[in-house]
Amino acid sequence: MISYKKIFDKAALEGLEALELYASETRNFSFSLFRGELDSYSISDSASIEARGISNGKIGYATTEKFDSTTPEYLVSRIKQNAELTSSDDPGIIFRGSERYRKKNVFNKKLSQTSPEDKISLMKGFFSAVTAKSDKIQEVEISYEESEETVTLTNSFGLRLSSKVNYAVVFAQAVATDDSGETKSGMMFRVLSDPDEFNTEEAAAEIVNDTIRQFGSGPCDSGKYRCVFSGDAFASLLGPFLRNLSSDEVQKNSSLLAGKIGEKVASSKLTVFEKPLEKNMSFRYFDDEGVATSNKTLIKNGVLQTYLYNLATAAKENRESTGNGYKEGGSAIGVGLRNVFVKPGSLTEEGLFEKAGEGVYITSVSGLHAGMNAQSGNFSLIAQGFMIRDGKLAEPLSLITAAGNLFDMFGQITAVGNNIKIRMNGFFAPSVLVRKISISGK
Amino acid sequence: MITKSTALEVLNEALSTGADFAEIYLEEDDQTTINMDNGKVESCDDTLTRGAGIRLLKDLRSVYGYTNNITRAGLLRLARDLSASFDGERLLTVDSITKVRQGKKHLPKIRYSEFPREELIAMLKKSSDACLAYDEKIVRCEISFAFNYKTVEIFNSTGKQFGDVHSRGRYIVTATARDERGIETFHHRPGAQKGMEFFLEEVDLDEEARSAAQSALTLLGAKECPSGKMTVIIGNGFGGVIFHESCGHSLEASSVSKGLSVFSGKKGEKIASDIVSAVDDGTIDGAWGSGNIDDEGNPTARNLLIKNGVLTSYLVDSFNGRRMNEPGNGACRRESYKFEPTSRMSNTFILNGKSTPEEIIANTEFGLYAKDMGGGSVNPATGEFNFAVNEGYIVENGKISYPVKGATLIGSGKEVLLNIDMVGNDLLRAQGMCGAASGSIPADVGEPTIRVQNMTVGGRGGTIK
Repeated sequence: MISYKKIFDKAALEGLEALELYASETRNFSFSLFRGELDSYSISDSASIEARGISNGKIGYATTEKFDSTTPEYLVSRIKQNAELTSSDDPGIIFRGSERYRKKNVFNKKLSQTSPEDKISLMKGFFSAVTAKSDKIQEVEISYEESEETVTLTNSFGLRLSSKVNYAVVFAQAVATDDSGETKSGMMFRVLSDPDEFNTEEAAAEIVNDTIRQFGSGPCDSGKYRCVFSGDAFASLLGPFLRNLSSDEVQKNSSLLAGKIGEKVASSKLTVFEKPLEKNMSFRYFDDEGVATSNKTLIKNGVLQTYLYNLATAAKENRESTGNGYKEGGSAIGVGLRNVFVKPGSLTEEGLFEKAGEGVYITSVSGLHAGMNAQSGNFSLIAQGFMIRDGKLAEPLSLITAAGNLFDMFGQITAVGNNIKIRMNGFFAPSVLVRKISISGK
Repeated sequence: MITKSTALEVLNEALSTGADFAEIYLEEDDQTTINMDNGKVESCDDTLTRGAGIRLLKDLRSVYGYTNNITRAGLLRLARDLSASFDGERLLTVDSITKVRQGKKHLPKIRYSEFPREELIAMLKKSSDACLAYDEKIVRCEISFAFNYKTVEIFNSTGKQFGDVHSRGRYIVTATARDERGIETFHHRPGAQKGMEFFLEEVDLDEEARSAAQSALTLLGAKECPSGKMTVIIGNGFGGVIFHESCGHSLEASSVSKGLSVFSGKKGEKIASDIVSAVDDGTIDGAWGSGNIDDEGNPTARNLLIKNGVLTSYLVDSFNGRRMNEPGNGACRRESYKFEPTSRMSNTFILNGKSTPEEIIANTEFGLYAKDMGGGSVNPATGEFNFAVNEGYIVENGKISYPVKGATLIGSGKEVLLNIDMVGNDLLRAQGMCGAASGSIPADVGEPTIRVQNMTVGGRGGTIK
């Protein structure tokens, strides 16, 4: 990419008190199939350096993808200018390093060494398996996206940390039409660290079942129902809930969980962990500030255990960072999470239906960017699912809205399922049973 | 960013295995974001992105790749890697490249890079103070100001070279109100493809900030919206997101050409009520989603999508146009060189009708007035959509009665377009970021005030009898 030394030398020459370079290199390979034939194919390599530096005690940022002789000058001059304009109370901190790091190898050579042709033929086989399962399936789009990411964090205190990960995501969408002309769509995804992990038959059965079981769906009567949320639907709601554990939100008076450490904030059935050291695609042994990460319990039997800190928010409370300093889109460090796990309960999903007796099973919610207010906890989301009658799934539901308040809802979880697996947002979550949710339909 | 001779070499390398079209898209984008929280500059961030995307087409197959390494060697390597996915004989060779002359609209009068940052920050601070001083219940004011200057160069195997410049700026203010009843937030986010003159002459930042504060306070006192089927009046401006989500995406060639859209094969058919006409117009001077050319070099256009309820045109990029036997109509866009371009909206809106907004409200016995909308999403296969109402009021007996919160509008695009029974004369456009296959791109939504019969409203305030 470019010599880091030249940038550090320039920074020293210009009088920056400290400098951190967060370099990432990403290689992607992806393709998609339409009607079983190769439709698009893409390869890429990209690199960037996100730099942060301290000038007169204040922090400034600059990022570049342009690597030539002008790079050190660009980064250092913009950092100086931006640091001067900053008026934040947040202390600018470049980290000297943790005592101990738990590095693990999560790079899978087999994935990167398998040929593109073999990956394409694996997906073609998947396509055939999907279409063989039902003649109602009209269209299937399958995409395969593989990434290799290397992150290197170096700073002027001599810290140097590096992490390399690779994984592939298979995503499929099917459209089915029945005799009456009704159209339904369904989807499926898998995260792979090894091509052999992909079970074609099982994945095909999942997407076909997810699509055709929706035929004949419509809204139910509006009212309050006992609800089973699928793992996907529950994971979608857990994200906004956990945002309230951010020390940044707490310190800025924007979290309704402020002042609740050691108090009950959810049902005693709910226990949630963060496991950044779990060996998978989200593994990271250091956060984006270079602080060593650790596995921890966030909520234990409904009781809030900790907020999440980065260096700046921790300094304000005179405590240590919890290793949750992550970039949120820009170069600035926010608060984030990796590898959220919900502790599984004892019931299967069918067991949850049985326990519910009569109610609604919500398979997915959408429109979170619009219908979810993580601060107030109020949500009103379009949902899909099924009626639960006599402890079993009954007719499919569509065009319904599930509305409630996150904080109330998490308090009303009466059972947690044992079907924990990775969900679309990267959380490992099971299905849950909730006492009462407002559903509007007809 | 590269010479014509390098471009020629790279295009011919890319065509060596039988592609029938090759394109190099180069981009350099200088971006700045300033974040302010309760009047203090939290961060000031400059980002310089630069890279190239190479696209190869062969019949109905496309191949795309990108790199930051835009040296001759780097681009040749990418062209070679991409061409390896075809195994045919060379079909064509490019002999020369000619630069195409095109419009020079949408250029900034005052470049952001030349406007003193201290002065800009003072303006932001003043608006933050105006927001916080509006009421003691306003506990937080967050402001983000982002601007960029992006240069684009395109070379393709028809022997043409295109270029364009995009300079955009946007101000986003979020006011948070809090009292014993809870927390509510509201934001305003004006932007344009103009220079700093837009914020000096056309937008009053203090007023935007105060107005966001006022709406957040209104929400604090709002009742939960009742649910059920009712008449819905959708306000002008960002209310146009209903059309963007429920119809616009389904008119994009990416889904139309594959038969994946509810509007596939429906050209010439009635898809909306007679009083509805709509356009996608990428030519509007200085508008958020405009350009002189689209991201494959075609001149942008004003495409009439719906005329008096009848579907008249799709949004077509040249690749998906191959399946439809239609040429690209200036609607091919991408977030950056990291995205393969495809058919997208630019500035998309419903045209003015005859009613005044006052008439529409006065003619409504009972319903929801969705004055400002939040974002939404749509399933392109079924046309089912949802979107949130940011600021809503119950209308009773032809008058605005009381504010409500937590409302969601849900339905299917097909039905809603047919159920529009009044269209206002107060067309307004509003700025949004539209996310889809080719990334997140600036796009205007818009409409006059409209009224929709029999729409499903979700909310927690009980069922309408």
